[in-house]
Amino acid sequence: MTHTSSTDMRVQPKRPLLQRLAGACEPYLYSAPSLVLIATVMLVPLALGLSYAFRDVQILNPFSGGFIGLDHFRALSQDQAFYRALRNTLWWTGASVFLQFFFGLILALLLDKPFRGRGIAQALVFLPWAVPTFLTGLNWAWLFNPVIGPLPHWLFALGLLDEPGNILSDPQLAMWGPIVANVWWGIPFFAITLLAALQAIPRDLYEAAAIDGAGPFQRFRSITLPFLAPTIAITVLLRTVWISNFADLIIVMTNGGPADRTQIVASYIFTQAFKRLDFGYASAISMVLLVLLLVYSMLIVLLRQTMLNRD
Amino acid sequence: MASIDIQDIRKSYGAVQVLHGVDLNIRDGEFIVLVGPSGCGKSTLLRMIAGLEEVTGGDIAIAGKRVNDLAPKDRDIAMVFQSYALYPHMSVAENMSYSLRLRKTPRERIQSAVSAAASKLGLDPLLERRPKALSGGQRQRVAMGRAIVRQPKAFLFDEPLSNLDARLREQMRAEIKKLHGDLGATSIYVTHDQIEAMTLADRIVAMHGGVVQQVGSPLDLYDRPANLFVAGFIGSPGMNFLSAHYVPGENGASVRLGDGTLIALPQKYTLAADEPVTVGIRPEHVELSDADGTGVDAGVELIEPTGFGTILHLTHHGLPFKVFTVDRTHLNAGPAVKVSFPPGHLHLFDGEGDRVTS
Repeated sequence: MTHTSSTDMRVQPKRPLLQRLAGACEPYLYSAPSLVLIATVMLVPLALGLSYAFRDVQILNPFSGGFIGLDHFRALSQDQAFYRALRNTLWWTGASVFLQFFFGLILALLLDKPFRGRGIAQALVFLPWAVPTFLTGLNWAWLFNPVIGPLPHWLFALGLLDEPGNILSDPQLAMWGPIVANVWWGIPFFAITLLAALQAIPRDLYEAAAIDGAGPFQRFRSITLPFLAPTIAITVLLRTVWISNFADLIIVMTNGGPADRTQIVASYIFTQAFKRLDFGYASAISMVLLVLLLVYSMLIVLLRQTMLNRD
Repeated sequence: MASIDIQDIRKSYGAVQVLHGVDLNIRDGEFIVLVGPSGCGKSTLLRMIAGLEEVTGGDIAIAGKRVNDLAPKDRDIAMVFQSYALYPHMSVAENMSYSLRLRKTPRERIQSAVSAAASKLGLDPLLERRPKALSGGQRQRVAMGRAIVRQPKAFLFDEPLSNLDARLREQMRAEIKKLHGDLGATSIYVTHDQIEAMTLADRIVAMHGGVVQQVGSPLDLYDRPANLFVAGFIGSPGMNFLSAHYVPGENGASVRLGDGTLIALPQKYTLAADEPVTVGIRPEHVELSDADGTGVDAGVELIEPTGFGTILHLTHHGLPFKVFTVDRTHLNAGPAVKVSFPPGHLHLFDGEGDRVTS
């Protein structure tokens, strides 16, 4: 490089300013089309949305829209409904992700064994994932409805419920309704990704372990789990972020009720924005959620990196 | 250390039968090599001994105990895989100690067993490495180390050298032989490489199409192959086969080739006159002389110098055969030579392909 530039200097000691400017701009001009596209499609809406958090934006008030600084965040820090939604989000996300992962892993392990009709079984397992979430929500809401659905009667017959009532209207149990629907809907994601990871494990490792004296459980612990760990880390990360942002089922099944018992942050944002039409406040809550999820993602990415570096 | 007895072992996958009743008695401390072309059932037999394949019929006994229904871990055997099958997330030391740790062996015993095996295999400086950071030969050694730490009743080797380059294969072959000399453990070794079979085995089991063709010492198989398959499979370059008819004769028996050439046999056999036979001779036993010498005329088709010797591809009236000679030959392709077949080195096979002995 040094050599070429010195030659350039000798041949052309002083290039015109415009030409030098054009030379400096060249790489940016080449990448401009994609950068402009990314900026307009991703960054502008994000920045605009975030700017609402610092402005008083209420759809029904034509005089709103002024800059109010951190007022929304001050209000938010006093908002008990927000804290309850935060706690509910933890509960909703934790239970949903854990159960989806747990059943997904069991399903993947079952589907990994050869049996007749495995191809059809694999296709069927994927089916819930293809059902639109609103339909899933409605479906499960009806299943939990004692007038038309069988579940309350079955739970009552099993002695799990005192009476065949609707758990969606029971403040103590309501959260379980959307969680069950979410687990049913989300198992395929884990089952399919974990199955793919399972099938990438060389078979002769299991044979070597069997000869070394490992039983089924020890083989699972010392071969399957270490091989699955990176996949588990990344899928759990993705699902956690998705599920904590995932308000569809709750909106359809309970709408945050009864008495805000199933209100999670995402559905609280939806309520603030589209029921109360207070876009500014909704945007402020979104920003808090965004920061929390970013911190969480960073932690998981770090964890994954350390896991991969260890090998 | 233990003997292994195999009785009438059969294996089928659905309607396809891959082993048709194999009988084999392996003595304590013996090194047995199962050899044959791919698909002959040798690996299946090994995996059945290991317990990785179910037995369709027959019995396998290790140290006198029937093991047909025992899980691999209860058979007390160790196996070295072609792919090595090292646990990628464990260090070399952890790979080698895994079986001992599963057996809850005391820590000091594990440590001494691993370091003894490591020093035997020259793995001491690598104990903390992961398999990823090892070369093919080192991985191969770790796989063997994993087998020997446990002092099992028998070692099973499933084509352990196939993934190595030629030079390393030669070196590891010698190490395996030395290791067997040190440990004296019963070993069963599967390979399709007849050099490995010849050099390592106390006894070779030659297999073809799920049937044992011949069991014997390497030189037994080389000098007295039981049938055409063994004769052709053992030895490189392979044995020459010439189709002929048996001629009892007045002054000693001979065979007549298609063009009427007579080749003398060492003795008379109980064969009918004119019975179709195959006569075999190894390339290194064919004697070569100049065109004005005595013997059968042949044309030189191709010359392959190997450095150690020369492989000559000859034809006699369109019948191809090979000659191996350690003399540096000055021949070029084309000219005619004379070849002769010393009767003492001829092998005679009947129409079924079985060796004719009397």
